Amino acid sequence: MTARTLAWTGFLAVAAFVLLVAGRLTALDPVENLTLTLTSPVQRILHDATTPIANWVNDVTDASGLSAENKRLRADNERLMTELARAREDAVQLRKLQDATGIKQQFPNDTFVAASVVARDSSNARRMVAISRGRSDGVKDGMIVVTEGHSLVGTVTKTFDSYAWVTLITDPTSAVSAMVQSSRAEGVVAGNYGGSLNMEFVGQGAAVQDGDFVITSGIGGGYPPGIVIGRVSAVATAGQDLFQKVKVDHLASLDKLEQVLVLTSFLPKTFAQP
Amino acid sequence: MRYWVGGLIAFVLALVQASSVQQFHILGVVPNLLLVLLTAWLVVRGLDDVLPMIGVAGISLGLIGLQAPGLVLLALLPLAGLGVIRELRVVHSDFLLFLVLVAAATVFYESVMVLGVMLAGGGHDLVAAFTRDMVPATAVNVAIAPPVYLVMRLARPDPRGRRLSY
Repeated sequence: MTARTLAWTGFLAVAAFVLLVAGRLTALDPVENLTLTLTSPVQRILHDATTPIANWVNDVTDASGLSAENKRLRADNERLMTELARAREDAVQLRKLQDATGIKQQFPNDTFVAASVVARDSSNARRMVAISRGRSDGVKDGMIVVTEGHSLVGTVTKTFDSYAWVTLITDPTSAVSAMVQSSRAEGVVAGNYGGSLNMEFVGQGAAVQDGDFVITSGIGGGYPPGIVIGRVSAVATAGQDLFQKVKVDHLASLDKLEQVLVLTSFLPKTFAQP
Repeated sequence: MRYWVGGLIAFVLALVQASSVQQFHILGVVPNLLLVLLTAWLVVRGLDDVLPMIGVAGISLGLIGLQAPGLVLLALLPLAGLGVIRELRVVHSDFLLFLVLVAAATVFYESVMVLGVMLAGGGHDLVAAFTRDMVPATAVNVAIAPPVYLVMRLARPDPRGRRLSY
């Protein structure tokens, strides 16, 4: 290794640590905002140009997964059509009851800001996206992001003037207080490597079955209650374990997000210890 | 090769990685074309040539690809150490050496990324990190390596011509 090579390596190592510290101190925020502003149009062009090839490659390399998904979606479709008819009937009944008792809807004044996904985290370890709305649009750290169908996408973790970073629920650092809709069994839905979701801290006695919907519980104040996260896809119980191992499939197609909604009327609450 | 040319190539590679390559999900992971290309550059053209590109690529991918620039730069830095192995000439076949270096560089890169996640307070499931991140990422990067190497070999400047170095 020559002296010049050693000097370059040392310089890069020092630069890496300086950048890590600068990143922690948010000193790089203006540069990141400027970079996203300048490169997002080019990124969009490159992204759109590659999408058909990427879709083809992804379909070919995941043929068995597609077949299984297709089978599951057919079964889901049949079940959902039945549930839709029942839900419509229930909605009519509920509206009559609300009118009669004067009870208001849970979130009558929810406001959303629509945003486009302009960039994605390119690493395998993290799951983040950048959206086209930022501080100037009223987006703040901690706000909740959902799909157009109102299933949970993630949380705004960094805001710039015209962009914001959203940490997806599948990110390994993400944890959401959740409950199983049917049995009200509570736990924490945490992201893991590979984009999977696990529901943790579900007690052995709790009733959890494949296909159950998992929703936010609202405990902790980080998320409003009742937002759909996904469905239970596998439950494993072992006698010696304190908790069940619950695998959850997210409802939103997080790898192909294009449009999202930021819930601007909700900000996470912070509770002080008594 | 001049500094600005290497820097420009590294920036374009980072842009392509962040906007195009990240759409490909093979075995559940995104191929790291940038890392494979930098490793090919290292094997074909040497460490002196690739070090400035590592700097530009790391910072650019961090800024464009929603990652901490310092962390990406740190994850790419083991390439410098792997460059020493190349200089030692322990393997006679450049291609075989290249495949080994791609695998090693991927393991180092993903390890630094996983460490970053753990320092951020999550992802303590190391078995999942190994089986769902490191192993598939290494396999995919090694799989895309041969065509990249072929292109790099064909694009190598003629040693009899004008010397193109920093």
